[in-house]
Amino acid sequence: MEDIDNIEEDDFGFSRNYFLAKELGGSSKRSARKLSDINIVDEQELRETAFSIETKHEKEISELLNEYKTMYPKWIFELRCGFGLLMYGFGSKKGLIEDFASSSLTEYSVVVINGYLPSVNLKQVLLAIAELLSEMLKSRRKSSGSSSKGQETFPSRSIDDILSFLHGSQSEDKDCFICLVVHNIDGPALRDPESQQTLAHLASFSHIRIIASIDHVNAPLLWDKKMVHKQFNWLWHHVPTFAPYKVEGVFFPLVLAQGSTAQTAKTAAIVLQSLTPNAQNVFKILADYQLAHPDEDGMPTEDLYSASRERFFVSSQVTLNSHLTEFKDHELVKTKRNSDGQECLNIPLSPDALRQLLLDLSQ
Amino acid sequence: MAPSTTVADLPPSSTTDSFNSSAAAEENDIRPFFVLHKASSGSKSTATVKAKRRIESPSPKLAKRSEIESAGEEEGGHFFSTLRFKVFETVWSKIDNTIQGVLRDSNSKVFSGIHDWIWESFESIRSSGALSLSEAVRSYPVLSQPSSKQLFTALVLTRNLEMVDDLSTFEDLGSHLKSQGCHVAKLSSTDFSAKNGVGGCLRGLLRQFVMPTVDVADVTILASWYRESGNDKNPVVVIVDDTERCSGSVLSELILILSEWAVKVPVFIIMGVSTAHDAPRKILSASALQRLCATRFTLSSPAERMDAVLEAVFLKPCSGFTVSHKVALCMRSYFLCQDGTLTSFVKTLKIACLQHFSLEPLSIMLEHFCQDNQLPGEGTALLTEATMKHAFDLPSVTRNKITRSTCEMLPQFLLDLQRMPNPWCIVVLCIYEAGKFDKLRLLDIFCETLDPEARYLKYFSPPAILNSQSNVSGRTSVIRRVLRKLRDLSPAQLSSLLKSWERLTAEFSEINDKVMELHPFMRTVEAAGQRPGIPTSPKKHASRSNSKLEKELKAMTDKISAVIEFMLREYMKPVETVPFHEILCFKNVDKLQSALLGDPRSRIQSDLLESHNILHCMCCSQRGTTLLPSMHDTSILYMLAQEHAEVINLHDWYQSFKTILSPRNSKAKTTLKSKKRKDRCEEPEAPAEASIQARFCRAVMELQIAGLIRMPSKRRPDFVQRAAFST
Repeated sequence: MEDIDNIEEDDFGFSRNYFLAKELGGSSKRSARKLSDINIVDEQELRETAFSIETKHEKEISELLNEYKTMYPKWIFELRCGFGLLMYGFGSKKGLIEDFASSSLTEYSVVVINGYLPSVNLKQVLLAIAELLSEMLKSRRKSSGSSSKGQETFPSRSIDDILSFLHGSQSEDKDCFICLVVHNIDGPALRDPESQQTLAHLASFSHIRIIASIDHVNAPLLWDKKMVHKQFNWLWHHVPTFAPYKVEGVFFPLVLAQGSTAQTAKTAAIVLQSLTPNAQNVFKILADYQLAHPDEDGMPTEDLYSASRERFFVSSQVTLNSHLTEFKDHELVKTKRNSDGQECLNIPLSPDALRQLLLDLSQ
Repeated sequence: MAPSTTVADLPPSSTTDSFNSSAAAEENDIRPFFVLHKASSGSKSTATVKAKRRIESPSPKLAKRSEIESAGEEEGGHFFSTLRFKVFETVWSKIDNTIQGVLRDSNSKVFSGIHDWIWESFESIRSSGALSLSEAVRSYPVLSQPSSKQLFTALVLTRNLEMVDDLSTFEDLGSHLKSQGCHVAKLSSTDFSAKNGVGGCLRGLLRQFVMPTVDVADVTILASWYRESGNDKNPVVVIVDDTERCSGSVLSELILILSEWAVKVPVFIIMGVSTAHDAPRKILSASALQRLCATRFTLSSPAERMDAVLEAVFLKPCSGFTVSHKVALCMRSYFLCQDGTLTSFVKTLKIACLQHFSLEPLSIMLEHFCQDNQLPGEGTALLTEATMKHAFDLPSVTRNKITRSTCEMLPQFLLDLQRMPNPWCIVVLCIYEAGKFDKLRLLDIFCETLDPEARYLKYFSPPAILNSQSNVSGRTSVIRRVLRKLRDLSPAQLSSLLKSWERLTAEFSEINDKVMELHPFMRTVEAAGQRPGIPTSPKKHASRSNSKLEKELKAMTDKISAVIEFMLREYMKPVETVPFHEILCFKNVDKLQSALLGDPRSRIQSDLLESHNILHCMCCSQRGTTLLPSMHDTSILYMLAQEHAEVINLHDWYQSFKTILSPRNSKAKTTLKSKKRKDRCEEPEAPAEASIQARFCRAVMELQIAGLIRMPSKRRPDFVQRAAFST
């Protein structure tokens, strides 16, 4: 009963803080200072420096990791008892989990998924696991003396088929399993419901155990009760390491490098260079017009069409539209309506950046 | 896709250096996935040899003894020996089987009801006229009369919004019906997605009925399968376990299709309904609803099942494993406040059991509690010198001043622990039986009676009873509630209470004798109650006999509460008061809580706000809450963020971060400024600035990974948004 009170107290504390923060935002005037007031160093330099930042408290961190090492036997015991391990806490847990896997899980095959990468393809992971499993079953069959089945081929099958193969080949021996390490099971490529369902389905098989890490505070929202209790069967471990998120952070933008003039012009140039010369020329017409008429909302679409057609950059409205779609997709161009109700095209760059861009293009 | 073989060949290193990534590891960092290593056969084979040796050993007890010894010698490394795992398996499988048995029993009535309904309806369909084969496999549905389009449907009310408990119920139902000869297919909400349409669920049906490789969605395949090879002797059952989550249009469409074919293939639909019985009306179309001929079945509620499970696992002879008062309270509050599903309760129990085995070396003795025909004192044969020492260091042992000199008493204590029937359990069940009249839950009674410090006898003094009457609001003790309710019971209820007590105490003569003594009084009460004419006679005449009945009843309830008092006084000894109870009782509530329910939201924030508590460094913990440059960068930044409102101005945030990292007193600042003015053309602080900016970026990125802030939007390019406000 005291627990209920505590929970209520916590909830109250949470809402109080939330509304305090909201109130503060309303009453006091927000600081109007701009990021551009900081003299930001070049992005390249920033990235290089960021890569070589020395870690603070390295000694304490390694002591912390050594402390976790004493828990490895307990973790194995928990895995053997049929639970999945879920590691959370601040700091990269990649090193910790991989050290655990390579030093303590030598009896079992270990597959690692780097969930922080945007390019994870679960079907391929399933294929790899299915191959490992059929290999394992084959060797067991050999040792037990019975004849082995013919070679299975997986690549042509669908995810469901592979899952049903994995389901079908569950063995009686409870202590025979493959460990699946998932770094950042809350990572960008795995965040969608289908991937989580597939992983949960995989975790529910008796010969698969999952060891996963989460970093996002809201990660538990990815799972419903069925997944948590019946499939993943999580056992939580709070293991803050304070180790830097080196590889996990590679795909995140640097906050200070983002949005600066040089950056946008550079990316725009890269996009434009990959387009056809005609599309580039259309863009140039638009840019020239915008530089010549800085006070207007942008160039009316009809004017752009006639100007482009005159110079034989486009043959029809359809071609122009396809170029414009390309520009819009890459946020090179925005549409607006001017005071006359005409549709106008506008490049969301400052005149300086635009000039720089034109210079880059002509080189 | 080829998984790396180079990495697999790398020998696993166990030094601290392995935390630092090497070149090969760096290559692995950017692969979506890779095989770290394959199972090594060496260590596996030793394990099997060990197991074999144990099995072949002529005296298993001796072998075990040697293993315990070796476990004691190499404490730490082999702490979690094979034996420990084996005993855990034994104990847990016993508990698990008990739970499964209880659930099976609680469902069996509903299951057989459904089965009878299916066969009755099936017989009525068949008697209305069987189709010839040629007629049945025609590619268009047979249309005879409108009533033949009806689909027999069972609505199974789960009385639980959470589906997770009922997944296994429906699985059991499926296998139960299969064992009775029905053709059963199970569909769930994932099959009824709007994306795949009705084709998806038809395919699912065909795959389960006809063959697993079917890839077309054609209902005629189902019809011809049903008519072939004698399948038509049995009904076809389709189970949809979570009706509310299905796409209504797809389910309606499937119902329409199946009802068109109902004459050829008599399909019975079983729909799990977790909200209210009118749920199908809300999700199905009117035309589909018309085709349903529904019957209702109701499963037992989670609280009822919970009580049955508790009784079977903890209060009836099961595995011997039990939990302490605090752990029970934790499990109760998790069940009531957080989850409310039996599944999670069972999982909690499993975690508790697992942690008991991983924390308590003597837990392996539980194996002997699992075996039914146990010779007295045999458990102690397992005790070696090392484990003995541990046993006599247990808090419950030192507290009771039991020393090694009384070593020979150990078998007696262990016997007491193993004593079955356990009088405490009997008392709890008796109170539960009395509490049923007040709708008390066994869960509450169980939690309260486990309390080793409870003083129940205070409720028996007359003023306490009077007080309890006035104290209606607030939480009252279960014992108090039971006593209060006793006085409201009718003679019939009292008599049934006595009967159930008699049954419960049958194996325990001390209490049973007391209960039997009550019978003569009960007879007088019944006699007083059964005097002819009392219920109908006018008040005037009845008053005398009524008052006599009341008097008898009062005397009776006093006698019953005296028996309750006797039971509580003599036998209410919760497990935690017994010496050596640590062997079978799990007590570490904190460990259980943290393993059961991680709280990333608050824990990650407190990691950052109190980083020095985790890192245990000397440099940062010295000066209270002041921000020091030696602290972890992300920690500094997050503490700074606490000062801001919902949005944080990046410029301000950066500047304060910079100030923390490069603290100077004001004097130094001014001199630096004047210096700066002098030689403005030079760039004195460029490298430091770059490093601070890089560290700022890194810290912001780490906060973003943790989900504590949202990055600047197009609309608000100079602000980040805080996403969490409390620890």
